[in-house]
Amino acid sequence: MDSLRKAQTDPNRTMTILTLAMTFLVIAFVSALSTGKYPISLKSLRNGDLMAVRTFTILRLPRALMGLVGGFGLGIAGFVYQTVFRNPLASPDIIGVSSGASAGAAFAILFVSAASPSTTVFAFIGGLLAVCLSLGLTTLSPVKEHASIVLAGIAVHALAQTFLMVLKLMADPEKQLASIEYWIMGSLAGVTAAKIPVPVLIILVTSIAILLLHRHVLALSVREDEARMLGVSVRTTRFYVLFLATLTVAAAVSVTGLISFIGLLAPHTARLLTGDHKQSSCLLSGIIGSFLLLTADVLAKSLATVELPVSIFTSLLGAPFLIFLILSGRRH
Amino acid sequence: MNEFFSVQDISVSLGGRQILDHVSFSVDAPGHVIGILGPNGSGKTTLLKAVCGELPHGGHVVLEGLELAGLRAKELAKRVSYIPQQSGISISMSVLDVVLMGFYSKLGLLSQPSADMRRDAYHALKQVGMAELAGRDYLTLSGGEKQLVLFARTLVEGTKLLLFDEPDSSLDLGNKYRMVQMIRELVCGNPVKTALICLHDPVLALTCCDTLMLLKDGHLIRILRPETDSIKDMELAFTEIYGPVNLLEIPDPQSPDHRRLILLPTL
Repeated sequence: MDSLRKAQTDPNRTMTILTLAMTFLVIAFVSALSTGKYPISLKSLRNGDLMAVRTFTILRLPRALMGLVGGFGLGIAGFVYQTVFRNPLASPDIIGVSSGASAGAAFAILFVSAASPSTTVFAFIGGLLAVCLSLGLTTLSPVKEHASIVLAGIAVHALAQTFLMVLKLMADPEKQLASIEYWIMGSLAGVTAAKIPVPVLIILVTSIAILLLHRHVLALSVREDEARMLGVSVRTTRFYVLFLATLTVAAAVSVTGLISFIGLLAPHTARLLTGDHKQSSCLLSGIIGSFLLLTADVLAKSLATVELPVSIFTSLLGAPFLIFLILSGRRH
Repeated sequence: MNEFFSVQDISVSLGGRQILDHVSFSVDAPGHVIGILGPNGSGKTTLLKAVCGELPHGGHVVLEGLELAGLRAKELAKRVSYIPQQSGISISMSVLDVVLMGFYSKLGLLSQPSADMRRDAYHALKQVGMAELAGRDYLTLSGGEKQLVLFARTLVEGTKLLLFDEPDSSLDLGNKYRMVQMIRELVCGNPVKTALICLHDPVLALTCCDTLMLLKDGHLIRILRPETDSIKDMELAFTEIYGPVNLLEIPDPQSPDHRRLILLPTL
């Protein structure tokens, strides 16, 4: 069966790519741990310098962890959206999750408290509501195609945007409006140890579930009638897979605010490197997502005297990459 | 009434237009290749899609005493294969992975194809002459190669009812006849199966099918059995759907005792 082995993707090549990506990720993670306003050295940590230890455990480590796990989730979810919708430009907003989360965060800033735990909770609820609404509308539709999800997503996105606009109009321009805008630009600056356990757990569980269900994600990329005849319960499987992916995104953005382009960029880069849609490409997409978010955060922390929104850097990477995709004519 | 497979009173209307009108037929035992012939728009593909439950329809489709309409996707996939004209695969995946999709209905939620399944998939590719391309990206194949890969996927599915929608549409002359030959071998293999094939080419259909169903404007107008029906009868039936034609019997150049049928339109 030598020829059968030959026919399968070279596992050594995939392992090399994954190892290289992991190495870059470790470098980015260590950089994220060592970059920040307050200088922390290994020595001060070892000596038990109270200020250094506290800054490291309450702020620096949770922030880097959130970058690591959040980026991983965004990369994995992006891979799922692009595969399931067979659309290289599909992103979490295709079913309205980002707009829902923004509206939720704005609602919390206006009516609950500008303090971060409530923003996180409400952003998560907003994202989740948007998804349930999109997927719920789709199950009611007699049309079975993916297009009905996209249409429902557009409607929910528009609805959430309208809600967000109304909230912005009601907001106090000095404080609340600025908070809303800052949240929408995305940043890891507000991440603390207290905020991350639940979102990190959700992202890890959903991402692992997606990786385990990868065969079903691939089956959903086939045209619907064909998939059904292969034995795929298209509607149910699609609902669960998209729900998992969206839960991942909602959990990530509820803490970080909106982060553009990672969900788009990571899967494309992974596929450019591996040339396929296997489970390893999905994992690689997650690793690249982590790398991108951590790198963008390091830049956001270190390039100016004030902290910059992380989306500036992810967009800065994303826009040229999109142009590259257009010029190279790659569809997937 | 112990038929192997029966279609009872199938009607389909789309957008207020009646596409199929009370079509009924049955097959007593497996091991038959049934061709569906008819002009464009006669309802051939619609009939296949109604049989596999892809289109809402009136009437019943029963396979081995089991109504297909009530089955879950996985249960249906274990019994019926649908081979479209062109696959809806639109993302990069290897030819071997496409064939492995044929095992979907046999795998549990979290299980992966076993080594045996991989071997079977590779063997199926070998059978259709595509083993060399097992590692290639499916999207880079020609239309004909893609159809052969889909046929290999059907081989591993191991279902009893096979629905082919113009399996010859992207194939050259040699491969067309090779494809129908492979379908015949599959149908007569172990276990014995039944194939329902939509075809455009009546000569190809006369070569490979045991029974021919002639559709016109959504009605099943004739059922032909090329082995036993007279040439005159069949010529009349073909004239009814294609316009004036001549059905000729010629000696098979390869085996003189055997005769072949060809159909020529009257100019």
